[in-house]
Order: sequence, then C-alpha cells, then structure tokens
Amino acid sequence: MKLNLQLDEKLRRFPIPITPAMWVMIAFIVAGVISALVRFAFGIGAISDLSYAYPWGFWISFDLYCGVALGAGAFTIVAAVEIFDLKEFRPLVRPSVLTGFLGYVMVVIALLVDLGQPLRIWHMMVYQNHTSILFEVGICVMLYTTVLAIEFSPVILEGLKQNKIAHTIHKYSFPFVILGVVLSTLHQSSLGSMLIIEPYKLHPLWWTPILPVLFFVSAINVGLGMIIVESTLSANAFGQGLETHLLKKLALVDVFVLLTYLVIRFTQLALAGHLHLLFTSGSMSLLFWSEILVGSIIPIALFSQEKIRENPKTLFIGAIFVVGGLMFGRFNVSWLAITHSDPLTYVPSFMSNVDYFPTLPEVAVSFGIVAAGVLAFNLAAKYLPLFEHSEHA
Amino acid sequence: MTTDTIKHKAYLFDATRCIDCRACMVACSVENNIPMDKTRIWVAGIGVKGEYPNLERATMVAHCMHCEHPDCMSACPVGAYSKAADGPVSYNADVCIGCRYCMNACAFGVPHFDYDKGLVDGAFIDKCTMCPQRIYNGQEPACVATCPTDALEYGEREELLKKAHERIAAHTDRYIDHVYGEFEKGGTSYLILSHVPFKELGLPEMTEQPINETTETIMEGTIPFAVGWAAVLTAVAGVSRVINKKKETATAKKEAAPHTEAKQ
Ligand code: SF4
Ligand code: SF4
Repeated sequence: MKLNLQLDEKLRRFPIPITPAMWVMIAFIVAGVISALVRFAFGIGAISDLSYAYPWGFWISFDLYCGVALGAGAFTIVAAVEIFDLKEFRPLVRPSVLTGFLGYVMVVIALLVDLGQPLRIWHMMVYQNHTSILFEVGICVMLYTTVLAIEFSPVILEGLKQNKIAHTIHKYSFPFVILGVVLSTLHQSSLGSMLIIEPYKLHPLWWTPILPVLFFVSAINVGLGMIIVESTLSANAFGQGLETHLLKKLALVDVFVLLTYLVIRFTQLALAGHLHLLFTSGSMSLLFWSEILVGSIIPIALFSQEKIRENPKTLFIGAIFVVGGLMFGRFNVSWLAITHSDPLTYVPSFMSNVDYFPTLPEVAVSFGIVAAGVLAFNLAAKYLPLFEHSEHA
Repeated sequence: MTTDTIKHKAYLFDATRCIDCRACMVACSVENNIPMDKTRIWVAGIGVKGEYPNLERATMVAHCMHCEHPDCMSACPVGAYSKAADGPVSYNADVCIGCRYCMNACAFGVPHFDYDKGLVDGAFIDKCTMCPQRIYNGQEPACVATCPTDALEYGEREELLKKAHERIAAHTDRYIDHVYGEFEKGGTSYLILSHVPFKELGLPEMTEQPINETTETIMEGTIPFAVGWAAVLTAVAGVSRVINKKKETATAKKEAAPHTEAKQ
C-alpha cells in the first residue's frame, strides 16, 4: 500500500479555500444550528409539525432511515474486500468508510435534535430493554460508529505520519471487520423490524414480519449504488481517476440484488394475499408502484445493459435512481404509508393535527447536518490520504 | 397467554351511557395535577348521525387501555414502562429519553409528549396511570368515581366482563355483540361496549394475537443470529483467502496476465 505523500504540498497550496459552494454549505449549517437552538430552548413543537398522531417525521425518515441506509456503502465494500477477498476493490474502501463514518455521525447528531431528552442518550446503554428493537438499533449504531472510526483511524494516523501505529491497527483489524459487518446486518435490518410493531398503522403493502429481510437486501442494493455515486462525485471533485472498471462490476451485482429484492417483496405480498391491494389502494398503490419503478425496475433496466455500465455518465445516472428510489421507499415505509384513522374519528387527534408535513426549520436542521458532513468530507479528502493508488493487481 | 388467565382490575366503558359531559376529564386533571392545556383522557363525540327521528350519537372516552401485552412497554428502549400484576401500566419519567417510539408502538395513540418543553424544562411522555394513589387506597380511579351516568365502571376484569355480556344479552337491540378489549391483541384492561361500530369510535379492528409477539421473537433471536452470522462470515473469509491463494499460485506458475476475480 503506497501512501499519498502529497500531504504537505497540498497543505501549503490550499490554506482552507472557501469556494462559493462552501458558502452555500455554511449558510445551510447556520440555518440548521439556529433551528436546533430554537428547538432546544422552546421544545420540538416550536419548530416542527410533529404531533401526538405523528410522533416521528422528517428527521426519522430522512436522517435515520435514509441516513443509515446510505451509510451501507461502507459495510458492503468492506465485506467485499475483507471477507470475499476481492482485493481489486480496495481503492474504494477508504472513501466509503469515511462516508459511512460521517454518515453515522450525522445520524447521531440528528437524533440528538429529535430526542426529547438528548442528554440522556447514554440511558440506552444503562437501562437496556431487551424486548425493544429500538434498543438494538441504538446500541448497534453506537457500536458500529465506533467500529467505523477504528477502521478509518489508520488513515488519520497516516495523515499524521504515524505510519507504525496505523500499520499495527490495520494488522489487527480483522475482528473489527467481522464485528462491523455483523452490526451492520443487525441494525440495517432492525430498522425494518422497528415498524413491525405498527401493524395497524403501516399500510399492508409495506407491513410484513419480513421487513428486516427486505431492509437488509435493499441496504446492500443502496450500498452498491452509493459507492458508485460517491466515487463518481469525488472523482470529479478531487481529480481522482474514476475506477469505472470496478464500478461496472458493482452495477452488475446490483442487478441481482435488486431482482432478489423484487422476488422477495412480491412473493411476500402474494403469500399474504395482498396482491389485490396493488391496484385497489388508491394513493398507496401509486406510492408503491412509484417506489418499485424508480428504485427497482429502472435501475435493473439500466444496469443490465453492458453499454450503460461501461459509460461513467449512464452508470452514474443508474446509481442515482438506485439511491433516489431507495430514499423514496424509506420515506414511504416510515412516513407516507403510515396512515391514521379518519381525522374525524381518530380520537386523540382532536388535540393535535393529524396531517403531518415537515416545516422549513425541520428540513433546515437535516440539511444543515448534511452540509456539515459534505464539508467534513471535503476537508478530509484534501488533507488525508483518502485515495489509495490502486496498484493491487 | 389466554385471556381467561387475566385476573386483575379493569375499567368498563359503556358508550351508550356516556352523555359527553366531560366530568371525567376534569376529575382526572384535578386528581393528577394536569396543566390546563393537557389531558390524559380524550372525550370525543362523533356527532349526530342518521335521519330524524332515527338519530344516533356516540361518544368515546379514550385513555390508556392498560393492555395485557403493552406495546409501549415492549418498545421502549430504556424500559420506562412497567405493568403491575394487578393491572396498571405505568411510565417512569426518570429514565425516558424522549424518543417517542412508545407513541408509535401504541395502537391507540395513548402516550403523548411535551412538544412545548425545551431542554431546561425537560420534555416527557404522559399517560393515564390508573390512579395508583387512589386504587391502592380502596378508591376507584378519579374518572370512574366522577362519572354521573356510570358509563365508566371499575372492578375485577372477570366480573366486568360478565356484567358486560349480561348487559348485551339483556339489550340485544341496543348493543353490538362484542366487548372490545376482551380479546383484542391479547386483551386489555379497558373494556368497551358500544351501539355504533367500534371503528367509528376510533378503535382499530384487531386480531387476538399480541402485536409485540413478533418483535419480541426477533429480539430473542438476535444474539444467536449475530454469533452464527459472525461464524459464517469468518468461514467465508477463510475460504476466500485459500481459494485466492491457490489461484494466485496457479496464475504465477502460468505467468499469465493479471487474474480476474470470479469468486462470489
Ligand atoms: S393503550 Fe397504549 S399506552 Fe396503554 S398500555 Fe396499551 S400500548 Fe401502552
Ligand atoms: S419516549 Fe420515553 S417512554 Fe417512550 S419509548 Fe422513548 S424512552 Fe420510552
């Protein structure tokens, strides 16, 4: 493994450049911080549309459900390289692990805004309730964030010229690799299990006891998509060579993952006797089919063509469909498909509002966190040996 | 657990008797020091229906059902809920982290949250407690004691069920032949009699299977699954390495072009 020794040169050349794009990021961060401060001072109701009927909204759907899923690139590529021993993909490991780590930190920050008692987050570790899926998710996310930090630490140490320590950590990292993949499997699927407790709220096109399986398969799918998206973006931004010959293989694998997903999903609906709902549930049917079309059918159609996989541009477009479709699906299952009874008769609702739509400050908090993450990735890419030169045959 | 083994206190609410006076709401708030803008009981009239002279109205009084298999308790990550052997499901604000998962889990939308409280005041969950300060001192819960029409009653669950079925039998023209809460998701301690479909009272149709059975089964399987999965992954890693080593030596021998991976 060769190090990127241009560190010092780069440091001298770019003393924290502030581009217009960065100003936009900073504006987002400021808006997010202000919203969060108002929330901490006056309560969640002061900036959000959350209510008794909709205790979870945009923060949970976007930051938790999408955030964790989009962080799946890290464990997917680590599993490919370290477990299936596909060495050729090693150049993709570091950027993916960093994105994963930053992604999880972003999830945790968002949850600290969403929690009613953020200062008690440690209660999860002390007052464990072993029947709670949320407990499992919480513990796994905390542990996995730590594992990602350990997996990424050699890069920072190399950046600090502590190659010896970095090497030692790297040498003994295998147990952490296994731990990371196991933890990822658990919490990626448990995000699905968390919704099993809402059979009378979540629409039957989405509710099934095998939600964890669907969540896990779709996490691998979006993990592959995210690696393609990230690699393309950072190749453009940092002038790295684009590893299209690697990415196109991921796209091909993704076709099989997506097909598996579709087979499981439709078999489940058939076995549960819900096939008629596919066309008779009005707006829910529409949501379902849009999700399947954007997130599964279009990506399969694109990625199954050699021509499209070869071309970096079309490859990127396909991956955008994968990521966008998955986010759409997560929004459906954690928000849009959760229906409450008719507002007139949903009893507790006359105290609050039954329709939920995120407010601007709510969205500002989430976008501010994303902007901070992008900024952090940029700095890391500038100052750390993030992109290994691929010299593994 | 079958529902006939449930031997503890419960409420019985008879929607045909309720006159929508909301005295229970007031009594509850006074008894439990609930601020003016909050409540633990929701009294919701569903309006007048039908054509004159066959008019019909109904009111639902909703508070915690003190379920036999409380989903709030099963879902809370820090175990803030507990169910006492004699009925009440209670909430402990000292450990709650405010995640609001219990609100999602409760099929009746019972737990509610202080959306108007910041970090300094502390935002908590609140819900009906079954008035332990009263029932353990030989009194009925405040709402029951206040109800002027006996629409709300309190007592041994078995006796209330008997009473409810007798009442249905005596007035078959008046009641729907079903006691809501007798079997719903394994039974609740808030039993409901009604003359309008329960759905119109905002009560979801349910099977007898407790909701939290599935999730608790999943949680029980988690650790064994994790250990097994770790073993499988380690084995796969070992095998992949051996295979790749062999391939590498083979290609080195042949001095062929860089090998391509075909391993899955
Ligand atoms: S009604 Fe809701 S809050 Fe009350 S015990 Fe049942 S699940 Fe818990
Ligand atoms: S809001 Fe509090 S009581 Fe409800 S699930 Fe979360 S920690 Fe438990």
